[in-house]
Amino acid sequence: MAALIEAKDLTKKYGAHVALDRANLNIEAGRIVGLIGPNGAGKTSALRAILGLTNYEGQLTVLGREPFRDRTALMNDCCFIADVAVLPSWLRVDQAIDFVAGVHPRFRRDRALGFLAKTQITGKRRMRELSKGMKTQVHLALTMAIDAKLLVLDEPTLGLDILARRAFYDALVNDYMDETRTILITTHQVEEVENLLTDIIFIDKGRIVLDTSLEDVATRFSAVAVTADRLDAARAEKPFYERHILGKMVLYFENADAGKLAAFGELHTPSVSDLFVAKLSGGAA
Amino acid sequence: MNTSTWLIRREFWENRAIWVIPAVFGALLILAALFGQVSIPKLTSPAEMHEAAGAFQVIVGAMFYVVMSVYATWYLLDCLYADRRDRSILFWKSLPLSDARTVLIKLLVAMILIPLVYFVAADATALIAAFILSIRAKASLGSALWQADVWWDIQVLWLYCVVVTAIWYLPIAGWLMLVSAWAKRAVMLWSVLPPLVAYIFERVFFGTHVIGHTLARRLMGLPMVAFNGAKHVWTQGSGVVDNDGLPVRVWNLINPSGFFTSAETWIGAAVGIVLIVGAIQLRMRRSEI
Repeated sequence: MAALIEAKDLTKKYGAHVALDRANLNIEAGRIVGLIGPNGAGKTSALRAILGLTNYEGQLTVLGREPFRDRTALMNDCCFIADVAVLPSWLRVDQAIDFVAGVHPRFRRDRALGFLAKTQITGKRRMRELSKGMKTQVHLALTMAIDAKLLVLDEPTLGLDILARRAFYDALVNDYMDETRTILITTHQVEEVENLLTDIIFIDKGRIVLDTSLEDVATRFSAVAVTADRLDAARAEKPFYERHILGKMVLYFENADAGKLAAFGELHTPSVSDLFVAKLSGGAA
Repeated sequence: MNTSTWLIRREFWENRAIWVIPAVFGALLILAALFGQVSIPKLTSPAEMHEAAGAFQVIVGAMFYVVMSVYATWYLLDCLYADRRDRSILFWKSLPLSDARTVLIKLLVAMILIPLVYFVAADATALIAAFILSIRAKASLGSALWQADVWWDIQVLWLYCVVVTAIWYLPIAGWLMLVSAWAKRAVMLWSVLPPLVAYIFERVFFGTHVIGHTLARRLMGLPMVAFNGAKHVWTQGSGVVDNDGLPVRVWNLINPSGFFTSAETWIGAAVGIVLIVGAIQLRMRRSEI
């Protein structure tokens, strides 16, 4: 199947600062992809390019279109939530629904209303009168009522409390996601999303550090808790990261022989957050 | 309704001041007509009554025109800046709305729809105020303010003003929108500063005044281009008559052939179009502050 998002040598410069440095991306349909990186790594620049919000160098196609030139058409099949705070404060809930219904050919009003009916939000309220959690619900109701092929979320839960964050992701997975859709999500709170992702992309200093599915993570990466007496032997297998926890050394390996590693200690697949730290910290233990 | 209609509705949702300001201003004028001091000399001749009706409506219209100019200027400066400031631009850009359409709709609202709202408000205010004044000063005023032909003249005058204002001030509107799409803060300052610096630079280093004269002409020159020697007509001794002693009608006042054949009109419009294209390009690239 053709890639939904394909980037080749995607580069974005702001003056002398290089936000994206010849990044290559390949995202297929039906996946939930986490674009994960530290602050300033280029996550937002990558999303901006994918959504046609900014010009760029290199090749980029999203749903078969060039985003910057074709943003208007692209937005028929793609929607995004860039942080929940962006609904304009003067807009009323019923106006928001009327407007999106008026301009978006794939918006289904009944679905938006059905979603809002489960909340305390009434149509005459203005966004400025709603709490952040309620605004999220409005934004989600608007977005999930659009039959889009690609949904992009940029730090969608920034500033939300834990209850609202959980509700957001539950609604996303239970009410929205199906095999016809693709979700691309950026966050630096890895723990929050790692259970719902199918793919992860690590980005650092404008470069793609890792691009893999979670199934592959299990076969490709392993972590071993090594006791002090076996440390030298384990190090001979070239771990790419070491971490000292509770008197033990945890060594991280990529593409190593699992049978060999098992001899050094307890073997497990690293979590996404551990892998993230391990990958981005490089060899510096 | 199509996309453009929705974008227009959205402007009226966001900017309730579009109709609130003229409504409040009209209400104040009506209050003044109700409770203000009225001292009107007795009008006898038809020419005097004509003059009174014409002057009354023109004064009311002019006041609305001034308020409208101030508001439309502010609107243009704010219209591509406000949603960048509160980041709601990211919501609008998540919808299939082209930046060109968004910018052009805002231009249409500022240059045509806002003036039409003020036109209606001025008309309504003038009618109500004329009614009140006629009752309060029955003896001296009589039916002087109720001249059908004057009323029609004012309608034509207003519509003519809307059209020539929109074309003549296109470069100013384009500049304001460009600043609105570009500035990270202080749009008001940025709208004034570059022309001012250019003016001073030219004056100090070249000792000439080309920029100053061009700007002054653009800001103040519309009456000279779009109207016939208005001053000459309005200072006639008895009543509003033109050089031939005939009552002045709007047709003698306006100068559409002069306006629409003037190179100045179209050079300005061309500059305006270039600036608006620039604003659209900026709108495509700048989504946040």
